[in-house]
Amino acid sequence: MTRTLPLHDIQGNVVRAYGRYHYPFARYFFLHIEDAAAGRRFVNLVRDRVTSGATWTGDKLAVTFNIGFTFLGLYALSLPTRTLQGMPEEFIDGMKSRAHILGDRDPTKRASETTDWDAKWDPVWRDNRDGDGKNNVHIWISMNALAKPFTDQPDDALDAQTRWLVEQCDMLDQKVRILSTNGPGGTDLYQSANAVFETLPDGRKIPTRKEHFGFTDGIGDPAFEGQYPPEQMTSKVIGRGKLMSAEEGWQPIATGEFVLGHPDESQELTPSSTPANFMANGSFMVYRKLHENLGSFTAVIEEEAERFARVMDVPLDEARETLMAKIVGRWSDGVPLSTHPTFAEWQEFRATLADDDPLVAAEKRNAYLTSPAARDFRYADDMRGFKCPGGAHLRRVNTRDYLDPLNDLDSQNPDATTQLNKRRRILRRGLPYGPTELGVGDDTTEQGVIFMVICASIFRQFEFVQQQWIQYGLDFNLGNNTCPLLGDHTHHTRHSIPSDPKSGRPPYVIDKLKTFVETRGGDYFFIPSLTALRMIGMGVVDPT
Amino acid sequence: MPNFDTGHYFLTALVPIRDGMTTDAGGVEVTFIQNLRATLAVLPTALQSPATEMIGINSPFARDRSTHFARLVVLDDVIFNGREKSDPILGRIEGKDPITPEPLDELNCAYLVFTADFDAVLAEGDPLPKTLDLPAQNRARDAWANRIWEKMQEELTDVFSNCEGFDEVSDGDDFARYLKRHQVETTMPFNDYWLTMPKFSDLPLLPILGAVAVPLVLALVALATLLLGGDELPWLGWSAAGSVWVGGILTVILAIAAVRWINTNGQKPLPPGQYADLPGVLKSLYLQKTFTTFAIDQQGASYEELHDAFGAFLDEHKPLDASGPTQAPGVISIGRPGGIVAGEG
Repeated sequence: MTRTLPLHDIQGNVVRAYGRYHYPFARYFFLHIEDAAAGRRFVNLVRDRVTSGATWTGDKLAVTFNIGFTFLGLYALSLPTRTLQGMPEEFIDGMKSRAHILGDRDPTKRASETTDWDAKWDPVWRDNRDGDGKNNVHIWISMNALAKPFTDQPDDALDAQTRWLVEQCDMLDQKVRILSTNGPGGTDLYQSANAVFETLPDGRKIPTRKEHFGFTDGIGDPAFEGQYPPEQMTSKVIGRGKLMSAEEGWQPIATGEFVLGHPDESQELTPSSTPANFMANGSFMVYRKLHENLGSFTAVIEEEAERFARVMDVPLDEARETLMAKIVGRWSDGVPLSTHPTFAEWQEFRATLADDDPLVAAEKRNAYLTSPAARDFRYADDMRGFKCPGGAHLRRVNTRDYLDPLNDLDSQNPDATTQLNKRRRILRRGLPYGPTELGVGDDTTEQGVIFMVICASIFRQFEFVQQQWIQYGLDFNLGNNTCPLLGDHTHHTRHSIPSDPKSGRPPYVIDKLKTFVETRGGDYFFIPSLTALRMIGMGVVDPT
Repeated sequence: MPNFDTGHYFLTALVPIRDGMTTDAGGVEVTFIQNLRATLAVLPTALQSPATEMIGINSPFARDRSTHFARLVVLDDVIFNGREKSDPILGRIEGKDPITPEPLDELNCAYLVFTADFDAVLAEGDPLPKTLDLPAQNRARDAWANRIWEKMQEELTDVFSNCEGFDEVSDGDDFARYLKRHQVETTMPFNDYWLTMPKFSDLPLLPILGAVAVPLVLALVALATLLLGGDELPWLGWSAAGSVWVGGILTVILAIAAVRWINTNGQKPLPPGQYADLPGVLKSLYLQKTFTTFAIDQQGASYEELHDAFGAFLDEHKPLDASGPTQAPGVISIGRPGGIVAGEG
């Protein structure tokens, strides 16, 4: 018998990406604890509101509530030294100290040459771990809200819960206070996030899965053991789990890769601190505000598309769409290159999802994107990258069976597995931020993605993917080339698009990439279980 | 002979560090180990990171165009890894004393470990040899020792003067003899410069097993015959007792020969990769970068344009001339300061 995962004890943001459950709005609050006793009282005041990962029955909550702590937050709560010193070192360091690993700070320059590397960060993040520590970020609180039906406005419950949170801080004489220095101007009480909406001909609005470059996001998130009821798991796991062998097919990834206190893919417990019941059912979270340079992106695509159209002898709009797809690994509507490699095949498939009623069309697209068909593909049968380039975003962040050591350039290796990828998976959470419509803005306007990652080891999972697979290309025989979408292109500006010689077309190399995505702040958080929140609130964390 | 493989020489030397005290550059009395560590700490590595580029002084080993890697490290001691494992019940019966500690095993002094991977050639830029007998290997090692002595005598003296017996070294030949005296066999050489997989000397496993199995089976059948009371082998009619002896001895001899043969086969050096000498590797890195840029810049060019541009490329970058233009040794990329050497022509 498979053990039931105690979803009631795990925070809801670990188990589900709220955005996909029709919560198109979010507010992220960052708080500072002045005083440990007040901090514990605060945790006690809010912990009954925390949304767990339990399977939903009946109506959805209008607004969710989740909470996490930085290392300095746990320190400010006076957790025992033994508990603090057992925490992972990257969590103790915090995201700022890891800037050279993550590529947030130019690794070709010395620290002394780049003292203002975080100049573009929002004040709340610039002030974090800076100066006298009075503005250190200690607590992260997230609220996700439903939309008022067919509008791009959040349910009123979001404002109500925001007021309630402010009241709790007032009640504690601001000894736990909300850092109201969010946004580029440093004037916002919270970081707001929202989906991009599509406006129907009759004026009604529906949320989409688009981010501001126009790509469709959040399709291949990992599925782990215990996340779904068994009857759902058989289809959810396809393209989202691990591929163990041709016979076994897709299997859920071990719980311990994402939830502490459970066996992980090395059949061990991911090392964490003591006491065990404080860490169990908790997880670690990376919060990054990723700004999108919309102006640069559009300009580079236009310039390259002009040359691509000429070299490849195709119309300009086909060139534009193809380049975007070859950068990401999916066509802009989310259809994978691996299943529909050419523009013509994509157009043909796209026609099957069309409908005269835009609402029906949206539902059909959504049904496709949540179906195994949008995720069920491999890379071992495309080692030369004729379908999906080896350096495409998708192929870097989730390498699937691409790195199987027995893969061969000229064979399809039907026995390839995801063994070298299953310890590097991350759960993607978050929403875009910026306007609710697509395609407005430039490099200076506020738009991007609130990028959150849940994993048991930030070092082994998130930081590895970020450093080795996004900011570097050696594992893919691509030298120093970085991810064409997320990578730092200060020095490395290339992305190769291989071409099957049989097509008679030459390969194409984009060589004018600019940095399209830049960090605007963030930190590493511990997402405690509901039991651990109770222990913090009661002051009974005892590692002896 | 794993000191020599793939046309490269893999040197490992363990040089004892002097016991006692010396005076460091600041006039403070320190141990030779302290002084050696301080010397190594300021020995330039290579221009491979923003911090080392700021220092601007390249590794002295980069002065030699045949040295791929060199490493100097102080080995203080080899840590005792606990008592020998024993079963507590058997130990009790054997009268083992679990209270008294087992004797501690230690190195007699601290050592400087010096490892280097260099082209097994008599002069920089010579072609890499496929095979090399022992005297020729030694000549390649001694030639390298002479070369680095000539190019970095000052740094070598700063380092090795903290080691035993270095007082007697006054020229390149002395230094070669000094390294030879402290050399230990390299048991796992490694490099990977092959463009395509080399031809491995595959083991004919079945014939080897067969050669050992035939006399073994004969001996076993003869033994069974004896035990069953027979004294002649069925069909063959050979003496059973004699067959046990002959078969047994043959099995032992052939088994030993097979193991030796397998070991010798395993020790055959692998062939050098094409362009795997240091000048070749540096030129390859240089061409990899320049040719990639060339190919990208020519996207969409007509055949005539491409032809002219490639002619210009050949003139400028001289692909067959390893002397230059090429990547400078000890510099991380041709894009970094001092990354390109112009060459002789």
